[in-house]
Amino acid sequence: MRTWRFSRGLSFVMILVFLLVLVLSGCGTTGGTSAKSGSSGLTIKVGIIDTYTGPPTAYTQDALDGFKLAVNDIAKEGGPKIEYVTRDDQYKVDQALSWAKELVMNEKVDVLAGTINSAVSLAVSQYAKQNKIPFINWGALSDEITGAKGHRYVFSTPPNTAMIAKTGAIQISQLPYTKFWLAGSDYEYGHLVVSDFWTDLQKLKPGVQKLGETWWKIGEPDFTPYLTAIRAAKPDAVIVGAGAADIIPFMKALKATGLSKQIPVWIPQSIDAGTLRALGNDQPEGVLGTNQYFYYYPDTAANKQFEQEFKQATNREPGFAGLYGYMAGKYLGAAIQKAGSTDREKIVDALEGLTLDTPVGQLTMRKEDHQSLDPLFYGKTPGTGVVANGLVQLSPDKVMPSVEDVMNARAKK
Amino acid sequence: MSVSMLASQLLVGLSRGMIYFIVAAGLTLVFGVLRVINFTHGSFYMLGAFIGYSVAAGIGHGSAGFWLMLVLAPLAVAGISLLVERGFLQFVYRREHLIQVLLTYALVLIAGDLVKFFWGSQYRSLSTPPIFTGSFATGSITVPKYNVFLLLVGPLVALGLWLFLSHTRFGKICRATATDREMVDILGVNSTWIFAAVFALGGWLAGLGGALMAPVVNISLGMDANTIIYAFLIVVVGGLGNIWGALISSLIIGVGEAFGALFMPDWAVVLPYIITGVLLILRPSGLLKSVW
Amino acid sequence: MSMSWLDRSKEKTARVIPFRPILLVSLLGVAALLPPILPAYYLYLLTTVYMTALLATSLNFVLGYGGLLQLHHAVFFGVGAYTVALVLTKTTWPFWLAAVLAPLVAALLAAVIGWFCVRLRGLYFGMLTLALGQLVWAIIYKWRSFTSGDDGIHGIPLPGLVSSPTSVYYINLGVLVVCLLILYAVIKSPFGLTLVAIRDNPVRSQSVGVNIKRHQLAAFVLSGFFAGAAGVLFVLIEQSVSPSLLYWSKSAEILIMDLLGGMAVFLGPSLGAAILVVLSMVVGTYMDYWLLVMGLILLLLVLFLPQGVLGYLQELFGRKTVQGGERDAAN
Repeated sequence: MRTWRFSRGLSFVMILVFLLVLVLSGCGTTGGTSAKSGSSGLTIKVGIIDTYTGPPTAYTQDALDGFKLAVNDIAKEGGPKIEYVTRDDQYKVDQALSWAKELVMNEKVDVLAGTINSAVSLAVSQYAKQNKIPFINWGALSDEITGAKGHRYVFSTPPNTAMIAKTGAIQISQLPYTKFWLAGSDYEYGHLVVSDFWTDLQKLKPGVQKLGETWWKIGEPDFTPYLTAIRAAKPDAVIVGAGAADIIPFMKALKATGLSKQIPVWIPQSIDAGTLRALGNDQPEGVLGTNQYFYYYPDTAANKQFEQEFKQATNREPGFAGLYGYMAGKYLGAAIQKAGSTDREKIVDALEGLTLDTPVGQLTMRKEDHQSLDPLFYGKTPGTGVVANGLVQLSPDKVMPSVEDVMNARAKK
Repeated sequence: MSVSMLASQLLVGLSRGMIYFIVAAGLTLVFGVLRVINFTHGSFYMLGAFIGYSVAAGIGHGSAGFWLMLVLAPLAVAGISLLVERGFLQFVYRREHLIQVLLTYALVLIAGDLVKFFWGSQYRSLSTPPIFTGSFATGSITVPKYNVFLLLVGPLVALGLWLFLSHTRFGKICRATATDREMVDILGVNSTWIFAAVFALGGWLAGLGGALMAPVVNISLGMDANTIIYAFLIVVVGGLGNIWGALISSLIIGVGEAFGALFMPDWAVVLPYIITGVLLILRPSGLLKSVW
Repeated sequence: MSMSWLDRSKEKTARVIPFRPILLVSLLGVAALLPPILPAYYLYLLTTVYMTALLATSLNFVLGYGGLLQLHHAVFFGVGAYTVALVLTKTTWPFWLAAVLAPLVAALLAAVIGWFCVRLRGLYFGMLTLALGQLVWAIIYKWRSFTSGDDGIHGIPLPGLVSSPTSVYYINLGVLVVCLLILYAVIKSPFGLTLVAIRDNPVRSQSVGVNIKRHQLAAFVLSGFFAGAAGVLFVLIEQSVSPSLLYWSKSAEILIMDLLGGMAVFLGPSLGAAILVVLSMVVGTYMDYWLLVMGLILLLLVLFLPQGVLGYLQELFGRKTVQGGERDAAN
């Protein structure tokens, strides 16, 4: 009797669940190829490693969609055919390294790309270096990737923490603040952005003073205790390196506690359209911030076209992740065309110093450190809506670490 | 460091503890009665937040949406947990704890991907309802209104659970089942549906926790993993199955973290583990008597 | 509470199937001959299987035979790996010294954590291992100046002799075989038998004068030691460490391997490790929703095959009439 009920109930549920799996696996397609082969006759295979489970997916999906867009554009223009396969690293370094090996040894990819996680990016970069495989980082922002731990085979399309921090330091140094509190999400990105900011600010404005630091865990459910503690220290301004998972709840807490009305707060990406859209009515006004990309600014034809194409393909406006995935595809396509070959060494040579028309203007992959020279912006949150106030664009030469600094950092390691 | 400063931090810490409590209460209740270590509890919390989001966003982010979400989301999660109990869990009650842990862990993996399938991978965010925006400020004490709201809801949930468990027939049967299941069976009570109902109640509490947190956190994949570990530590430190123990340990950890933010602001990652480690070493079988 | 999967183990491990040693030796022979003919990727996969098999077996020693609910075993694995990584990047000590030091450091940590934990029983024991293990994770995560925080350490320099894929393969195979033989001998020794006796009946064991805590602590330390050794192997394979190695979800993975293969059989965890490693690489290649697939596999396993794959096979061929967990209810 019991066994009968057991098997019946169970098999019923099982069948349901399996049906679901079939539906799901039908919907989720892994990898793919460009729509049609290019007329140049060159074909290259890219292995993409990124986090496609959990919170980072909000960004990684954007980047992948951007990359797909670029691949299709290149094919349409008769450029090389770019094939790709994707692998989910679950935000884990060991899983990512397994995939890197699988992609290179088994799938025989010519180029590696991806990774939102800085640690994964650095690990894959090391693997790429040892095995002489070009690796294009389109997600991670750590300045070590093209800085101290850079090498011949690694390239980076997004601006790194050093550039973001410098932009913020320029913005803040013009304001009359001297006593600062530093805070952030307790992980690599948060620490890098804040410590780089502080080094830069001390150079731009000698005599600034640090009152203390606060670091919370990623995914913090309630920021109020930290904000109350910071308020008690009475700093002139607060510098916050909030990670992607924390920035929205943190800014909500700013609004709820009213802290940003009393003390100016600086947060990178606080003025990003995606961030402001998610905040809705809980947007605090006047939060200072930097950003890498706006789909509405600068208001150029190229930018508008990119926004429309992206929206057509995905039904979303592109965020910065989308742009850098797109640029990675564009750089790669242009490099293959320039090299006239899919040889790894020739692609690396072609990428060095490569200049490209992008939605944000003409950009160059800096020859010496393989960091794309991206423009950066700063401004303030408007209080309502998604369009930031008082936007200022900084050209890359103002915020990039100098080639000399990068080379010194590499020599030290 | 003024007294008012400490007082406001205490309030904030208590409201934080209440959040922990509402989630942990369901976990400890299920453990006390069913003797099942339910990892899926974190997924129920996540589902509560996502369903709450869909309800509130569907209605248009206003006050009405908020209250409706608080009613509907926990109920929906309770329904889902009932399905889980009938579909899977009822078959492993007599197995080892480890088997049960693995079953619920398997459900965690499945629930995570199902949420990804239905809601997509983008972040969701819900506005706080108009009546709870801003904060109460007197002198140097500033406490956001929503925290005050949580500070009220937490004790209400605790009170409700207490009334339910000690003053209703069903609650008494629950407690009896927790103490001696066989005796309850012998007395002719059908413990099968007691188990199902308690599991659904646990799911309801997790869903309520998720819905209550929806306006302040990032509603995203992965919020289950963050929550479940904390809830487990709280439940074990409080004494397995003991709801009052869970209340006390929630408040200790909440207030501890709030004062930690004041006195050692850069060690938040380590603090909860230190607190639970020390408490477990001092009181190896939990703060209050375990029903287990 | 009694851990009933262990009751079965007594019968199982006592069974001697005459052709089994021959089968194992010939398997080993095949494994030793594989490197020249196997494509590089499969060689790497197999190497990872050996390393993971050691890790899973070291957990099963405390979990299956010791009956201790160790919920955070990955800590010792990670600490072993970090010890090698830190010694090789921060000092000029030779590799062999690092490789010897790592299991010892892991064992020392196991002694410290175990000292607190063995005073607790059942689930409380499990939760304390989890809390203290997470504390170790948090320290490694936080201590950025020393451990590089969540960035991890990559491109760890290895001496040429141990860095080619083939030599790494043989080292992994060799270390796995030696460690499994040692663990097997320990389980069959008076110490191991006492451990199983404590697991099955702590009250009686105590009454005949067995020092329960000391035995359990010793088992805990020994399993920590071998997990640390697996950590060394990991660095050999990947030349990289990061805090995710000792996050609690890694421990959950190891637990699943043990259950998958069968905890009552000595080689069960090894089989479980092999299945999970291969499965995660194969399923992960083809599916967007592969966590769902993993969850379903686990679900089927728990409901229909609670004794594990190898346990099931043994039942099948041993013609045992006793079936899985349904009948041997706890207590």
